[in-house]
Amino acid sequence: MSKFNRRDFLKLTAAAGGSALAWSGAQALLDPKPALASDGRLTTSAQDVIVPGVCALCPSGCGVLARVADGNVVKLEGNPMHPINLGALCPKGQAAPELLYNPDRLTGPMKRTGERGAGKWQAISWDEAAQLVAEQVRAARDAGHPESVAFMHGDTRGQQRSFFGRFMQAVGSPNLISRESLNVAASKMGVYLTQGVYAQPAYDLENSSYILAFGASLLEGGSNPQRMISGFTYGRRGRSNRSKVVVIDPRQGVTGAKADEWIPIKPGTDAALALGMANVIIKSNLFDSDFVHNYAFGFEDFLADGGKSRKGFKNFVLENYDPRRAAQITGVPATTIARLAGEFATSKSAVAVLPGKGGLLNGGIGGVYAAMAIYMLNALVGSIEAPGGVLTQQYFPVKAWPFLPADAVARKGLQAERVDGAGTVFPLARHAYQAVAERVLGGYPLDVLFLYDANPVFETPGGQKFVQAFEKIPLVVSFSSFMDESAQYADLVLPEPTFLERWQDDYIEGLGYPGIALRQPVVEPLYDTMNTGDFLLKVAETMGGSVARAFPWKSYEEVLQYRLSEIGADWETLKELGVWLVPGYRFAKRGSQRWVDEVVGRDRLNSPRDGHFDFYSRELYALFGAKNKGALAELGITQMGDAVSMPHHEDAPQSGEAAEYPFTLNVVTLMSLGPKSEAANMPSLQEISGMTVGETWDSWLEMNPEAARELGLRDRDVVWVESPFGKVKTKVRFVKALRPDVVNLPYNQGHTALGRFAKGRGVNGLELLDPASEPACGLASFTNTRVKVRGA
Amino acid sequence: MAKWSMVIDLDKCVACQGCSIACRFENNTPAVKPDEAVAGRAIRWNDVFPYPVNAGDEATGEYPNVTTRYMTRPCMHCENPPCIKVCPVQATFKDEEGLVHQNYKRCIGCRFCTVACPYAVRYFNWREPEWEEGMENFLNPDKIESGGVSEGPAVRPKGVVEKCTFCIHRLKKARARAAAEERDFRPDEYVPACVQTCTGKARYFGDLDDPNSTVSQLASDTRAFRLLEDVGTHPKVIYLQEG
Repeated sequence: MSKFNRRDFLKLTAAAGGSALAWSGAQALLDPKPALASDGRLTTSAQDVIVPGVCALCPSGCGVLARVADGNVVKLEGNPMHPINLGALCPKGQAAPELLYNPDRLTGPMKRTGERGAGKWQAISWDEAAQLVAEQVRAARDAGHPESVAFMHGDTRGQQRSFFGRFMQAVGSPNLISRESLNVAASKMGVYLTQGVYAQPAYDLENSSYILAFGASLLEGGSNPQRMISGFTYGRRGRSNRSKVVVIDPRQGVTGAKADEWIPIKPGTDAALALGMANVIIKSNLFDSDFVHNYAFGFEDFLADGGKSRKGFKNFVLENYDPRRAAQITGVPATTIARLAGEFATSKSAVAVLPGKGGLLNGGIGGVYAAMAIYMLNALVGSIEAPGGVLTQQYFPVKAWPFLPADAVARKGLQAERVDGAGTVFPLARHAYQAVAERVLGGYPLDVLFLYDANPVFETPGGQKFVQAFEKIPLVVSFSSFMDESAQYADLVLPEPTFLERWQDDYIEGLGYPGIALRQPVVEPLYDTMNTGDFLLKVAETMGGSVARAFPWKSYEEVLQYRLSEIGADWETLKELGVWLVPGYRFAKRGSQRWVDEVVGRDRLNSPRDGHFDFYSRELYALFGAKNKGALAELGITQMGDAVSMPHHEDAPQSGEAAEYPFTLNVVTLMSLGPKSEAANMPSLQEISGMTVGETWDSWLEMNPEAARELGLRDRDVVWVESPFGKVKTKVRFVKALRPDVVNLPYNQGHTALGRFAKGRGVNGLELLDPASEPACGLASFTNTRVKVRGA
Repeated sequence: MAKWSMVIDLDKCVACQGCSIACRFENNTPAVKPDEAVAGRAIRWNDVFPYPVNAGDEATGEYPNVTTRYMTRPCMHCENPPCIKVCPVQATFKDEEGLVHQNYKRCIGCRFCTVACPYAVRYFNWREPEWEEGMENFLNPDKIESGGVSEGPAVRPKGVVEKCTFCIHRLKKARARAAAEERDFRPDEYVPACVQTCTGKARYFGDLDDPNSTVSQLASDTRAFRLLEDVGTHPKVIYLQEG
């Protein structure tokens, strides 16, 4: 075919007859207008407004600007004023209109009529719902057991968290349980036991020239991915001052691929690597002598009360963590460990980043020791509260809640043991989310259980236990916008509007300086939904008495206006901008009053708040120092004496014998599907979920090709993945950049409910995990389950 | 006249796919049914993928020294676009600002262009695009249409080929705004949706003819390269290589 011109083409269309396709083509040909001009006229909506909000599809909490065209949300952009995302927006935020207009959203409050889980529901009014809840809560209080009211929640920041706290305080229950034991608690605990602040640190990545990320899945599914991406790429804005990023993770993932160096470490051995590095830094005298000697405790050997000599961190590390030993434990060559140590200690500034969700720390108490060891690297090189190092997150002062009148029932209830066993069964835990089911089945009586942004049946290892536990609870209330795995076993489902339709504020975390962002109804709520804050106000009002007196507000919007009345921005300004901040982090000077009050030692409960960073954890010593070998073993600690109070390597207790179950299972959070159940029901996110391996709308098992071939498997073979706790069937995909003794399953597939796009897609890897909680800190055991793989 | 060009810094790209989805919502590309997606018929004008495509097994190097790369790929808006030459109905053409247009009213769905394009960035509508009940609410109401012209982002019918337009409707809007405000249009008043949303701030957009623009300065960076430079298409999407 040398030349194909219009005339030939016309002949062709004539031959094709009257097919619609040909006809439209012919019409185009016959059109008299010239084709070679961009003369199309642009038309658009009659009314176009931009309304700010805050995304809620991951913990980053990016500011968004919603384009509302003729009353419909048609597009989201990042809010350039919001310092976390600076105008950018990830695929989850971009796909949010699929959440708002999702065909599977619940359209109003419902009451269960059939058997629990049978899917028989009856629509009720919000007044009836409030009545039902109020009655049950009042009955619990009348019986003198307000602690039988429990509230499990996922990500909630800003005033809502403290609002829930106030509600539970007014009711008189200590059982407000955060999901953090599933993800960030190990990191927070590591900071608490060393720096004495129970919080995730903020990282000053912009001023860092060396970023050492431990299993942090920094750019994909960590605890604050967009913040990390912003910091990470800032370091790559020009070549002369490009920062170096080293990722330590058994799986390379996108983060490791984008980093300058990837260290495939044996899972659960991060402590040994950090301590091996500490050994080299100390031996080479590259540590910050001023910090470790003047603002830290326990670096050198010291004399304890009674004159007994105690070993300090320096000698402990020098004696026990020679890089050669660390190499044996971690599988990372000693020369690499020494080189990393040298690079880390001589870069100005260097920062070691703790894993959030997606990390490999949560295997046992060893995970907490690992977090301590990693965090101490920052202390060793003087990166605590220093440019390019770690910062302490600051918050706006908000107006205090009005005085809550004491109430005898509540006072007694608040003293009760928590249903999750935090502080009792799990001595160091603040929250043990996944343990609630076990404890309820073990006899802790609950009358009411609220689930806010909580889908424990799906998102905890062995989550089916929650289905049994719900049987023992007279009233389970879910606030989910979708009929998720947990909501379908609830008694009441009281859907909350999506983040584009509700009032809520959010603290901006990750930059150190204080900031507040505001969610507002970008469009009127589509359905008969209610903000959970408004619902709780209604419940309080219905209950009357002291609970009602604790909540003198008419709406949750009013609550926000009250609490945020002193941040320096009036309500209209906050609504218009969507954010309010005081940019510029104020560093506390070492040893200053602010250092002591806010930065080092602030949250310590059992040890001095003296502004000294603990290399030898006095908090751990106070709790565990007097325990004997047997008691320590129960907590998962095999060491004795001073080692108990210092970070050290503990072999993570593995479920499943290595001979039978050769692979450690790692359930990884993806950028696309993220950590929240509802994202799995957004079709665009399903479509792009398997980008790294070319999969779509499905699960896959990532496996090193050598390891897979040894089992006779080919790429894309269907396999059984089996642990001592269950088995799932999926497709194996070869991933070269993965340790041969680790396999990965993506999180947020395998839903059995939720909606048409999520249900029945792939498998839920959490079903394979050991449902037991880690005994000291109440962490979910996410990464110490072994599996075997065989062809199906 | 500006010569529109995009620079993508692969050192800053974190393969988040924000661009893919921003593009989808800006340009009304449908999320196809799962089985269609599995069959490789998903329509994402700006796709992100590992390179080589089967990186899992074919990535460079052997464990543990494995290099994995990711690419992101819009239409290159070539200076010398092969797609134009094969189009029998002149549905696709390049304008004086270097944008390669697609007129859906003229397209007859022959798919010659999808074969001719060496970058595989032209997508065919195998089926009538569908949105589940209620989800059509979020469609972008912008529409370039008059007489024999239809250039989106209004939904395209079954049987036509569609492609990245560098969000030309945004350009038209920006121009209209400038005209309404009785002032000159500046090239920095317009960026495509993928550039605006880029989480890693890896994308730059502007006028390649302006020697002071960011894109023209980056275009002469030592890291700059274009895809398949040797085939003579002269792409106006310029990549900066990693590290």
